Amino acid sequence: MSRKNVVAGLVLIALGVGYGYLTAGLPKRSLPNTPDPSFFPWIITGCLIVLSVVLLVQGLQGPRSARNEADTAGGLRAPTVFLTLFVAYVALLPLAGFVIASVPFFAALMWLYGERRWGWISALSVALPVILVLIFRDGLQIPLPTGALSGFLG
Amino acid sequence: MNPDIFAGFLAATLPTSLVATVLGVLLGLIVGMIPGMTISTGIIVVLPLTFVLDPTLSIALLLGIYVGGMTGGSFSATLLNIPGTPSASATALDGYPMARRGEPGRALSVAIVASFVGGFFSFLCLYFIAPSLADVALKFRAPDLFSVVFFGLTVICTFAARSPVKGLLSALIGLMIVTIGQDPVMGTARFTFGNAEMLAGIHFLTALIGLFAVPQLVDNMIAIARGQMETRTNTRIGSVLPKLADLKAMRLPLTIGSLTGAFLGILPGVGGPIAAFISYDYAKRFSRQQDRFGKGCIEGIAAPESANNAVTGGALIPMMTLGIPGDPVTAILIGALLVHGLAPGPLLFMERGDFAYTVIFSFMWANFFNLAIALAGVRLLVKLLAAPKALLMPTIALLCVIGSYALRNSFFDVWVMLGFGLLGIAMRHLEMPVVPMLLALVLGRQLEEHLRVALTESSGNLLVFVHSPFSILFLSLSVISIVWSFASEHRGGRLRSAPSAPSS
Repeated sequence: MSRKNVVAGLVLIALGVGYGYLTAGLPKRSLPNTPDPSFFPWIITGCLIVLSVVLLVQGLQGPRSARNEADTAGGLRAPTVFLTLFVAYVALLPLAGFVIASVPFFAALMWLYGERRWGWISALSVALPVILVLIFRDGLQIPLPTGALSGFLG
Repeated sequence: MNPDIFAGFLAATLPTSLVATVLGVLLGLIVGMIPGMTISTGIIVVLPLTFVLDPTLSIALLLGIYVGGMTGGSFSATLLNIPGTPSASATALDGYPMARRGEPGRALSVAIVASFVGGFFSFLCLYFIAPSLADVALKFRAPDLFSVVFFGLTVICTFAARSPVKGLLSALIGLMIVTIGQDPVMGTARFTFGNAEMLAGIHFLTALIGLFAVPQLVDNMIAIARGQMETRTNTRIGSVLPKLADLKAMRLPLTIGSLTGAFLGILPGVGGPIAAFISYDYAKRFSRQQDRFGKGCIEGIAAPESANNAVTGGALIPMMTLGIPGDPVTAILIGALLVHGLAPGPLLFMERGDFAYTVIFSFMWANFFNLAIALAGVRLLVKLLAAPKALLMPTIALLCVIGSYALRNSFFDVWVMLGFGLLGIAMRHLEMPVVPMLLALVLGRQLEEHLRVALTESSGNLLVFVHSPFSILFLSLSVISIVWSFASEHRGGRLRSAPSAPSS
């Protein structure tokens, strides 16, 4: 049994059923001989459920993809830390604006990517966001997230 | 001569366009070379720029990255035995042994020259094939267009994945996401949960940033935590000027590589890595000294390196003429053009023929500059292999946010980007390929629109899809590709080199 395929199959069957449920609730527009707005979503629902069942069956039968299953436990820490930081950063952006929110995020990432010299971390985590603002917002007139608290800093 | 050709050549040859091409090639060589960064990363870095730059400059920059990136990957493959991009994996087979033998300069010169030959050959294919294919494609009606897009999607699913089921499922998830927002025919709101921002739909560039950059950032973090990111090289490279004898020895592998690369490039989803391995295989089969392969022979570098660069021009053919992207890079190119209201497809050649030729000639210049910059600068460029990841990766993270925000000035898009990042990580974990999903995001709306228009025109008669020879051709090819991939999975003989995420 390949656990990954079983998990993927089950998740996708659930997804297909949920999507089918939403599709059933779509408004009907019955022009004669014209496919409804729900026409295409129904095709997707059908194919998705059928193929997910195939994947599930393959997962239950085949012993084939057992090779990567050992490294999954240790492999989850980095994504979790990274995504938590990223979520916090994006949540902070509308409040603090690009520069103020980016400095701690950048510093934390530098540390995670192996930088241990605090002088470098503090200098670069301030410098890089400021440089990006100068290039993108001031130089190229590309809008950057502005904060409620710090309009002028970007 | 067609006045569009002349106008296109002039626009691509303006000093500003040439500067953009040179910058693109330089950036491409660098991101291609640095392990942990791919061509897609390089493009994500400049993506916000393309929203404000003139379309001619944007395309020159992006094509430069595409071409340069394919070559840059061979530098680290040769010097460190770590392919900078998946496309350069096959180059490492003979490039690294030759470098170890004390001839790194020779290996690099072969790779650079082969890149140019493959790239230039694919430019010729693009120049001669694309306009006539666009002429044919102009005759396509809704059922044909549906069949072409359907074919593009199914081929991607079968090539980009080890398991065709997973490839198709990945594309279906993409199609599902595409149905969020207004439906393309009647404008009915679907799956928006009453949210105004969802009504505009999910922009595929936002999805792409999340899908490609975020998992890569995480991968690099894991690699650094495990101490697998040692990229120092002490090798003295020596002269990289190609020798006459080497050029002679490269004739056959270059022909094989260029032909296979350009041909496979036309097929959506095949991409550089597969083309490189297949042409390596052919070059070995046709060689008189097969036992030298894998021990650092010229043919083993020339074939895959010319193939992966020939893929670029090949992939531009369906992108330009049918609007079908073959890989993440051409998908982004479509996105970058759409932002400027230029939709790639047969109409582009008719309505903006000058621009279509600008793209083609920018591609040509990118190949010339790639040769010149790589030969002249490789010794300087490889010093960047030691560039600190602790500075690069956080910068890319910030650029992901800038890119997704700047597209529509919306925080919603930043969250969507992050959501796709999470999805990308989950899919990688479950060994599901992301490329089919990405291309479904690009093609989904057209697929639905053509299907529904065709059925409306025929009053719901499904036989409309077998009334035109084009439609029959593409639908049968789709069926064949699905059946073939299921059959070869059953035999356990999938394309052995197919990586799970051929992100070029």
